[in-house]
Amino acid sequence: MSFLVWSLAWKNVWRGRGRSLLTAGAVAAVVAMMLVMYGFSGAVLNGVFQNLTRTTGHLVVRVRNADEIREFDLSLIRDAASVKKRVREALPEADVEAVLEVPALLAGEKRSRGVVLLGLEPEGHLMREFAEKYLSAGRVPAAGGYEAALGKALARALSASVGGTVYAFAPGTEGLGAAAFSVSGLLDLPESTMEARTAVLDLADAQELAAPDAATRIVVFLPGVRTLSAAERLQGYREALERALPDEYEVQTWREAEPALAAVLDMTRPMVTIYAVLFFVLAGLLVVNTVYLSLVERIREFGVIIALGADRWRVMRLVVLESLLLVASGAALGGIIGGLALWRLARGFSLPGTLAQQYAEFGLPAVMYASITPGQVLLVFAFAALTAIASALWPAWLAGRLEPVEAMRHVA
Amino acid sequence: MDTIVEARNLHKTYRADGVETPALRGVDLAIGRGEFTAIAGPSGSGKSTLLHLLGGLDRPSAGEVWLAGERIDDKPPVQRARLRLWKVGFVFQAYNLIPVLTALENAAFVLELRGVPPAERKKRALDALAELEMEGFADRRPNQLSGGQQQRVAVARALAAEPAVILADEPTANLDSGTGLALIEYMKRLNREKGLTFVFSTHDPRLLEHVRRVVHLEDGRIVREETVG
Repeated sequence: MSFLVWSLAWKNVWRGRGRSLLTAGAVAAVVAMMLVMYGFSGAVLNGVFQNLTRTTGHLVVRVRNADEIREFDLSLIRDAASVKKRVREALPEADVEAVLEVPALLAGEKRSRGVVLLGLEPEGHLMREFAEKYLSAGRVPAAGGYEAALGKALARALSASVGGTVYAFAPGTEGLGAAAFSVSGLLDLPESTMEARTAVLDLADAQELAAPDAATRIVVFLPGVRTLSAAERLQGYREALERALPDEYEVQTWREAEPALAAVLDMTRPMVTIYAVLFFVLAGLLVVNTVYLSLVERIREFGVIIALGADRWRVMRLVVLESLLLVASGAALGGIIGGLALWRLARGFSLPGTLAQQYAEFGLPAVMYASITPGQVLLVFAFAALTAIASALWPAWLAGRLEPVEAMRHVA
Repeated sequence: MDTIVEARNLHKTYRADGVETPALRGVDLAIGRGEFTAIAGPSGSGKSTLLHLLGGLDRPSAGEVWLAGERIDDKPPVQRARLRLWKVGFVFQAYNLIPVLTALENAAFVLELRGVPPAERKKRALDALAELEMEGFADRRPNQLSGGQQQRVAVARALAAEPAVILADEPTANLDSGTGLALIEYMKRLNREKGLTFVFSTHDPRLLEHVRRVVHLEDGRIVREETVG
């Protein structure tokens, strides 16, 4: 198509200036909004992913079918140190930690509760995470000090406070089976059930109590995996790890460790895409209206073009081209506005007012960073192009069916 | 003289709301290459209908239309469009220039449809405008030109494409008599100097004095033919 046809189409688009500006503005708004929505959803997804994997790790090594095993001793990774060593050898860049979860009875002076004693490495990511995010009083347990940090609800239930003593009973295990722990701190955990049943110990103390040298999980943190799209690489790491470990162990990704949350996260992007389709359909109706009115006002002109020798396909192409140029103008403007907004949001933003606190309960970080993939940008502009073409089809079909003699007699 | 466009027993009947209105009732007409022919007649005599059929803009109810040795009335719209593009130039009563294009772009438009390269297109369009003494107005849009100037651009548009025949439907009807006469003189000169075939319709008897051949049409029939000189 020559410059003259492009020029003709461009000039025709702006013949109905007010109408075209309104339509291009609507397209610009939709494009900008969709770019921001994708960027925002990226921020939320990555924020939740980072928050989540800080506690689950990116990969988890467990005894095979651990979820189905009811006996504590059968769920144990017996020689945790050697398994950790193998994991480190397979994934040298990873941070690796052992975790021991012991079902136990924890008793205060008057009351007792069934709990999970969570043995964590004192210098590890997980202990640091508890210290930074959940500690509301005191401190996390010191190494080898027989100290425990209790969930606040659990401490209330046991009438225990910082500096007090609680007694752990883990009968039938291979360790001491019972030990006294001084309460070093209190934890404000995001879920109330978890807060009522969790006590954090030093890993070595937990092992001495219930399972010497053992762990129930080996948690793997991969420093380079900070976004959901980067998490696509985890399958490769997982396979490498499975090859390096004996068959009795299985490796799970964070998805398998937290399937419900992973499913919620997976729904977010399709939801944004559904919104995108809906908004573009609405914008498309405006485009149809504009292109159709432009056709009706110029039927006589189309008649002349056909009379001069343009066949119906050429006339249809002209209508589609006008629609494309109209939408492209809006999309370009929307791209600039959306790009500027994303640039600002990518430097970090917080939800306004109390929203940040409310959503923190669902794992949303206080500060998020907009993130959009090239594929999503392409998708938004592809939707815009599709809208332009789809919106022009009907007017183009009408234009292609015009009879030149009748069209030239038409009075707008 | 070889025939460039020919109508054989041409009939055209318009149908609307169950009412049939005959516009042409058996017209036989042959136009030779290089002729300058007027189709004269009162309003409603079928002049425009005949020109539309000769140019392949419409299909007859019966009869045949031949253009440059090819029968066109039985061709589908796409092929008729192609024939119009390559063989026929049109000049309309209402000028029918594309308002957003300049005079030069309008004159080049048919060449653009034909896919002529931009440089050649521009040269031929400028030459055509120059033939009509419109080269000084090449950058003006139709709304910046008088009626006579617009019609000269329309003739230049037809001329630039060097068609086998130029069909002009009442080209002077919207012009004052002086401007109309001047336009006919331009067309005559192009006919004389370039051998272009012109067929135009008119109901203005003053213009007929300047035409070599006049075909008189009444009620859809040719009632008389005159040849001068």
